[in-house]
Amino acid sequence: MNDVVDLQRQLRGAGYIAERPLAAALLLMLDLGRPLLLEGDAGVGKTEVAKALATVRGAKLIRLQCYEGLDVHAAMYEWNYQRQLLAIKLLERDERSVALKEQDIFSERYLLKRPLLEAISCSEPPVLLIDEVDRADEAFEAYLLELLSDFQMSIPELGTMHAVSRPLVVITSNGTRELSDALRRRCLYQYIDYPDTEKELAIVEIRAPEAAGMFARQLVEFVQNVRRMDLQKKPGIAETLDWTAALLRLGISAIDDDGAERILETLSALVKTRGDRAGFTREVVARIAATC
Amino acid sequence: MLTVAPLPDADPGATLRTRLTGFAGFLRANGFGVGGGDSPRVLEAAEQVGVLDGKILRWSLKALLCARGDEWRRFDALFDAYFLRPNKKAFAESHVPKTGPPEWAGAPGDANAQVPIATAGHGAAGEDDGRAQRHGASREESLASTDFRDLDRADQVRDIEALMRHFARRLKHLQLRREARFDHGRRLDLQGTIRRSVASGGTPLRLAWKDRRRVRPRLVLLLDVSRSMSQYSFFYLRLARALCAELADVYCFIFHTRITGVGEALRDPDPWRSQERLHLLAAGWAGGTRIGECLQEFNRSDGPRLVHSRTGVIVVSDGYDTGEPELLAAALGQLRRRARRIVWLNPLLKRPDFSPTSRGMQAALPHLDLFASGADLASIEHILPKIIETLR
Repeated sequence: MNDVVDLQRQLRGAGYIAERPLAAALLLMLDLGRPLLLEGDAGVGKTEVAKALATVRGAKLIRLQCYEGLDVHAAMYEWNYQRQLLAIKLLERDERSVALKEQDIFSERYLLKRPLLEAISCSEPPVLLIDEVDRADEAFEAYLLELLSDFQMSIPELGTMHAVSRPLVVITSNGTRELSDALRRRCLYQYIDYPDTEKELAIVEIRAPEAAGMFARQLVEFVQNVRRMDLQKKPGIAETLDWTAALLRLGISAIDDDGAERILETLSALVKTRGDRAGFTREVVARIAATC
Repeated sequence: MLTVAPLPDADPGATLRTRLTGFAGFLRANGFGVGGGDSPRVLEAAEQVGVLDGKILRWSLKALLCARGDEWRRFDALFDAYFLRPNKKAFAESHVPKTGPPEWAGAPGDANAQVPIATAGHGAAGEDDGRAQRHGASREESLASTDFRDLDRADQVRDIEALMRHFARRLKHLQLRREARFDHGRRLDLQGTIRRSVASGGTPLRLAWKDRRRVRPRLVLLLDVSRSMSQYSFFYLRLARALCAELADVYCFIFHTRITGVGEALRDPDPWRSQERLHLLAAGWAGGTRIGECLQEFNRSDGPRLVHSRTGVIVVSDGYDTGEPELLAAALGQLRRRARRIVWLNPLLKRPDFSPTSRGMQAALPHLDLFASGADLASIEHILPKIIETLR
C-alpha cells in the first residue's frame, strides 16, 4: 500500500490527482511491463496520465496522435529520400564499391524516426503515449499489436530494430470505434470517469491556486451540477479549468444569484454546443448558482 | 482481508493459488471476455503485488482482467462475491438466465409459435389472422420472457445469410478526403515517386500514384422489438446477426421502452451463449414502445461515439409510439445532423390497409432519407439496391 500512496503523492507533485486504483494500475504496469489502456469520455484527463507519469519517472514523453488514415510512414519511420538522392549525386565521384555506397545510403543517418521507432530506440525507457487509438483503423491496430508484443520493428533495408529499452506505453481511447479484443487483452485497463466534487476540487486547487477556498468549492459544485444536466457535451476537467481562468480574469470571486449575469458571459468556456447554450438562461444559471 | 476456506491438511499456498486461478473462470462464467491464458497472469500479478492487501489485489486484478467499460463497472461486485462471501456459487447461478416458454407466442412446439418466424421468413405477410389487434402501441414493458431458440433455425438462416453477404459486398465504399499511396491511381504521387527512384539512382523508373481512400460506411441498426413488431423482430434480429457476421463496423441496438446494445450478444460465436445473452438483454421484449425516448437515450449514450459523418442509421419500426411525437422528431433531427443517412424500414408499409399516418411516423418522415417497407426477405431483397444507393 505504501508504494501506491507514494506514487499517488508523486503524481500529485506532477500536477495530477490520481485515485488509488489508478496508481495501483500504474504500479502494476511498471511491474509487468504491459501497456495501459485508458478509456473514458473526452476531457476526463486521460492524456494527462501519461504526461504526469513521464514527469514522475523523469522520462521522455513521446506522443503519437492517431487519426484516420495514419500509416506506417507517419507512425514508425521514413527514409529521408531527398537527402539520400543528394548523397547519391555526391557519391558519384566516390571511389568506394557500390555495396559500401549502398550501405552508406541506407544507414541510420538517413532514417527519419517517427514516434514508434523513436520510442523503442531511446536509451532510457520513455513514456509512449498512443493517443485516441480508436481513430486509427484496424490495420494500424494490428500493427501496433505486433509492436507491443515483442517491441521490435523490421525495416527491410536495415534489418530488425530491437528495443533498446522497453517504453512505458499508455494508450487512450474515446470509444468512437470498438477496439479489438486482442488489443484489449494485451493491455491493463482503466476506465476513467468524470471526477467527483472532492477530486475536482483538488484538481482546481492544484492547477489554479488563485481560486481560493470557498470560491473554488462553489465553482466546482456549479460544474458538477452542470454535468448532471441533460447536455449534448458535458464539460470535462479542461473546461472547468478554462472556466476558472475566465471567472478570475473577469474578477468574479463568488458564485451567487446576483452574479448570474456575469457568469452567463463566461459560460462559453464551459458549454460548447449551441443547443446546450440555449438551455442556459439567466434563471437557470441563477438557480444553479443558488444551490452552490 | 481475503477469506480462504481452510482445508485442514492442505498447503495454504496451494489453496490460495487454486482460489486465484479459479477467479478468471468465475469472471468468464459471468460474461467477461477472459481467456484461458489469464489464470497465469492473475498469479503473476498476485505475486507482484502480494495478496495480503485486499484493496491493492482488487485494483490490480481489475486493471488486469477488465477490458471494457461494462466489465469495469461489474467487477467490484463479482470480486466481493468470489473472495469475500462463502456463497459465490449461488451468485453465479443467479446470472444464468432461465429459458421459460414464450408467453406471447404459445408454448414451444406449438404450431402457433412458428407463425411469426414463418411469416417473416417466407414472405407470406398476409397471415394476419387475429394478430392485427396487436397493432398499436402500449406503454408497459413486457414481463414475458422470450424464447430465442428460434434464432438458430437453419433453413431460414441460410437465405438470410446469403442476402446479407450480397448486401455487404454491394455496400458502396465511401470516399475519404485523405489520399493514400497506391500502385495505380488518378494522381501522380511526386513524393512517393522520388522515394522509389532512390533505388535506381534518382531516375524515376517506377511511378507512384495517389488516390482517395475508400471505406465502407458504418452501420447502426436500431430495431424495434415492441409487441406491435413481434411478428418481425426475430426476422430482423437474424438479419442483424448475419450482417454482424459479414461486416465488422456494424452496431446493433434493440429498443422498446428502453434501448439496449446487442452487438456483442449477436457476435457471440457460441449460439447457446448468444441466446442466453439475448435473454438477459431482452427484458421488456414485446412490450410497449417509446421510440422518441429511446432515440434520445441513444443520442445521449452511444450516439456521440458511434455516429459520425460516415454512419448510416437504419431504424426498423412500425412507428406506433406512445411517446410524444415532438420528442421523436427532435431526437431524429439530432441524429440526422450527426449521421450520414437515416433509413427507416416499416414492415407494415406494404399492407393495403396501412398508411403512415400514425403521429410518430408523421413526425419522423421529414428527417428520413429513405422510407421503405421490409416485411420479409423478398421485400428486403427488393429494396436492397435502394438502401445501398441511399447509403452512398
